Amino acid sequence: MATTTKDLNVAVIVKLEPDFSEGNVSYNADGTLNRAETKSILGPHSAIASNAAFYAKVKYGARVAVGTMGPPIAESALQQAQLLCDADELHLYSDRIFAGADTLATAEVLKAGISKVEGGKVDVVFSGHRASDGETGQTGPQTAWKLGYTFLGNVIDYNIDLESRLVRAKRLISLQGFYDIIEEVEAPLPVFISIDPSYNAFFNTVSQRLAFEKYQKEARSRAENYKQFLKVLNTQQLGIDPKLVGLPGSPTIVYKVERIPKAKASRKAEVIDGTNRDQIARVVTNMYEVLEGMVIK
Amino acid sequence: MERYDVAIIGGGSAGLAALKQLSNLNKQAILIEAGKKAGSKNLSGGILYSKKPKHGKTYNVEDVYPEFLQDTPVERRITQYMLHATSRDKVFTMNLTAAHEYQANFGYSVLLNKLNGWFAKQASESAGRQGGGIVSGVHVRSLSWQEEKTVIETDELEPFEAKAVIAADGVNSEVAEMTGARAKFTPEQLYQGVKVIVKLPEGIIEERFGIGPDEGAAHLFAGDITLNHIGGGFLYTNLDTLSVGAVYHYDSLMERPSEPYTLVDALLKNPLVAEFIKDQVAVKEEIDKNMPKEEQLRTRFAVSKLIKTWNELRDSYHSRALRKKLIESGKYKSEDEIKARLDSVQNELATKYDTKFVTDYVELEYGAKLVPDGKRCAMKKPYYKNILFVGDAAGRGVFIGPRIEGLNVGIDDAVRAANAVARAIDRNNFSTQYMGESYSQSIEESLYTRDMKEIDKDYLKIFLDAARDVPKDIIGQRYGMVFRLMSSGTLRGLAVGFANILGYDKLLPLVESQDTYVQVPIEVAEKIGRQFQATYEPTIPTIAQRIARLKYDDDRVSHIKVLNPKSEFMKKMVTLCPTFCYSMEGGNVTLQHEACIECGTCAKETEWRHPRGEKGIIYQYG
Repeated sequence: MATTTKDLNVAVIVKLEPDFSEGNVSYNADGTLNRAETKSILGPHSAIASNAAFYAKVKYGARVAVGTMGPPIAESALQQAQLLCDADELHLYSDRIFAGADTLATAEVLKAGISKVEGGKVDVVFSGHRASDGETGQTGPQTAWKLGYTFLGNVIDYNIDLESRLVRAKRLISLQGFYDIIEEVEAPLPVFISIDPSYNAFFNTVSQRLAFEKYQKEARSRAENYKQFLKVLNTQQLGIDPKLVGLPGSPTIVYKVERIPKAKASRKAEVIDGTNRDQIARVVTNMYEVLEGMVIK
Repeated sequence: MERYDVAIIGGGSAGLAALKQLSNLNKQAILIEAGKKAGSKNLSGGILYSKKPKHGKTYNVEDVYPEFLQDTPVERRITQYMLHATSRDKVFTMNLTAAHEYQANFGYSVLLNKLNGWFAKQASESAGRQGGGIVSGVHVRSLSWQEEKTVIETDELEPFEAKAVIAADGVNSEVAEMTGARAKFTPEQLYQGVKVIVKLPEGIIEERFGIGPDEGAAHLFAGDITLNHIGGGFLYTNLDTLSVGAVYHYDSLMERPSEPYTLVDALLKNPLVAEFIKDQVAVKEEIDKNMPKEEQLRTRFAVSKLIKTWNELRDSYHSRALRKKLIESGKYKSEDEIKARLDSVQNELATKYDTKFVTDYVELEYGAKLVPDGKRCAMKKPYYKNILFVGDAAGRGVFIGPRIEGLNVGIDDAVRAANAVARAIDRNNFSTQYMGESYSQSIEESLYTRDMKEIDKDYLKIFLDAARDVPKDIIGQRYGMVFRLMSSGTLRGLAVGFANILGYDKLLPLVESQDTYVQVPIEVAEKIGRQFQATYEPTIPTIAQRIARLKYDDDRVSHIKVLNPKSEFMKKMVTLCPTFCYSMEGGNVTLQHEACIECGTCAKETEWRHPRGEKGIIYQYG
């Protein structure tokens, strides 16, 4: 159950992922990721979800909890998330039996974890759009379903009315063949929000900006001492049925990963290096023709 | 509408000092900065001084920030100050350390991104305790007045109100322009400075410049490196980089426009400078295009990673602190072990990936800025209604021979402005008679204001002493008389007294001429200079490569509007814009703003605004 006062409790679920940036990532000779040589960082989508939770902190003074499932090393993801959202609590759901979990088994652990926050009184849960190493985008929705929360996907902006306990969110969707349609929806708390990669928090008064600075400063000092905020919870502490988590709880397994076959190029490319006027004139003519074709007369 | 006591516009060194000082006086203030964070749009030469004037008081950086130098990211305390006269491969050097130390507690080389970041941290902590703070990524669009209070509108936030405003928005102050408090600066009042940051490991800097861990060197250049313009070059040692730049009288550039970067390039190509900046550089071998695509990609990643490791390890190996840190972390047992690992990475790159290691130099960042010459453009009354102008915004830069100071001037101004505002808050009187005048009177007492008005004969003597070894016949008929006059103490006093009666207006054309900046140094170098030879030829990046390396948050909308695309001034911008934003098309000057680094060179004849909040250039060094 959600809270009935004007307080707001939010939770973020994050994931520790390989750093795929150039100069940091390593591949084996067969093209698979060399995990030993590649550093792990807070996943980029988890970072965006953390930013969205920070918005709730700055704008509504929300209490923020961050949770992740993983081995002890995953606490570094919690620390990085805390730096972004000034979390009041960090929860690491860690148990050997969680290993080998698919998205459904992971969702079971996350559900149990979120239910432990503020006595289960979490109003909004944030997750990233998907993980950069799994790419399924299923864990969020499945956790929402298990929690029984209203699921709002691809959210690019949200506002909460603390009086009426309603959230208004903008979602970036495709509709009837059109991309980038913005849909505005309203839902009663509690909700589960999966944040779109294009989300960007915006604060439009001086006092909000000052609060932003204040909490950011607090976040820096908290993240330095993140262990003070960290709780590690195992199966027993989470009160989970071992049959529902880890390998036994996973109806799916990754059998084989194949490269996506390259699509046949439908466009023709021609190199025009611009060393003489004729070539440049040709580019202009070509562009003109293309643009003219796009004008609806 | 939200209400605040004081709004400071601009988060450079001056604006931040104003915020810190007001907080020190227990006053609430907010600071509005257009950049993503304080320091991201600031550029300086730069040396930050602390002064001890013979007469009067100066507010120094350590007066505002009591914690200054405890953990402040300053670069190096400058302990050597040399002036070089150049002509081709000949250089004559004068030691001007005495001039650098004149009336100074210290002078540190600084990089503003880091330093202003630190100032901002201190200032915002203090301001937070008074209910104020720093609001960054916000660009002020307009100011208006309602019942004597200023309503500030921005591109990003809801309007808010302030009782007093401190304008610290730099040489291209929009506050000054919007209010009409002063006219836009003209080329004769400005210098254009262009700077590159050169990478060089800490230990190599110390060895090459003959300095200890807490010491630094400043080298100044005049002569043929100026390409006949009035101005000169500089090279300052930072902790593990060098600041190499050229500062030229804008008027002189207008007369015979040269691309700004060619002036830095002339300096980099000078054999003495080339030897100062040289380093070992890894050059990637082209990847064999016949290999399978995946193998190419894998190789590219592997080489990138190894070169990154090599660079990091090499920087650590040459840095006392980083070396110690690596050993303490337990990763390496000794210096020798770090060296062995470094050699093995280098060996792997060379043998496995054909990476070449050559002698060259590495540029990290290119930047440009206009510098106001306070002698010619300092505002006589630096206020308007309830707004006080400080630092560059008030045109208060000190330019005396090789001495260029702006940071410490801005800090001194800012403290005086903050004091005046605090007093006004106590009396609830923000009128020009009470607040503006009290600030104006205060800065009249500043050492820097005096420097903008008159010649200091003791400072002049240091130059004459340093030039002792120069045969008098070189200075020749032109300055022989002056020299003779100046070498006697009594006569010098009289001569300077006379000169000060004449005033800077009449003196400047004589003192700041092509002759003094170019001809005399060339002659000196030719006749008595030492010969230098560079051991390599530096590969100087093209302007396109330099721009490509800069970081921008690109705004689709241009913040500059060309007013008259056919004017003579705008035609010169095609050459004078440091990042080539202007080009000629069918007799019209057209603008592509994307590469703009917001120096303001084109501001005089354009509608010139800073980009919206967070947009535009983001300097990593500054």
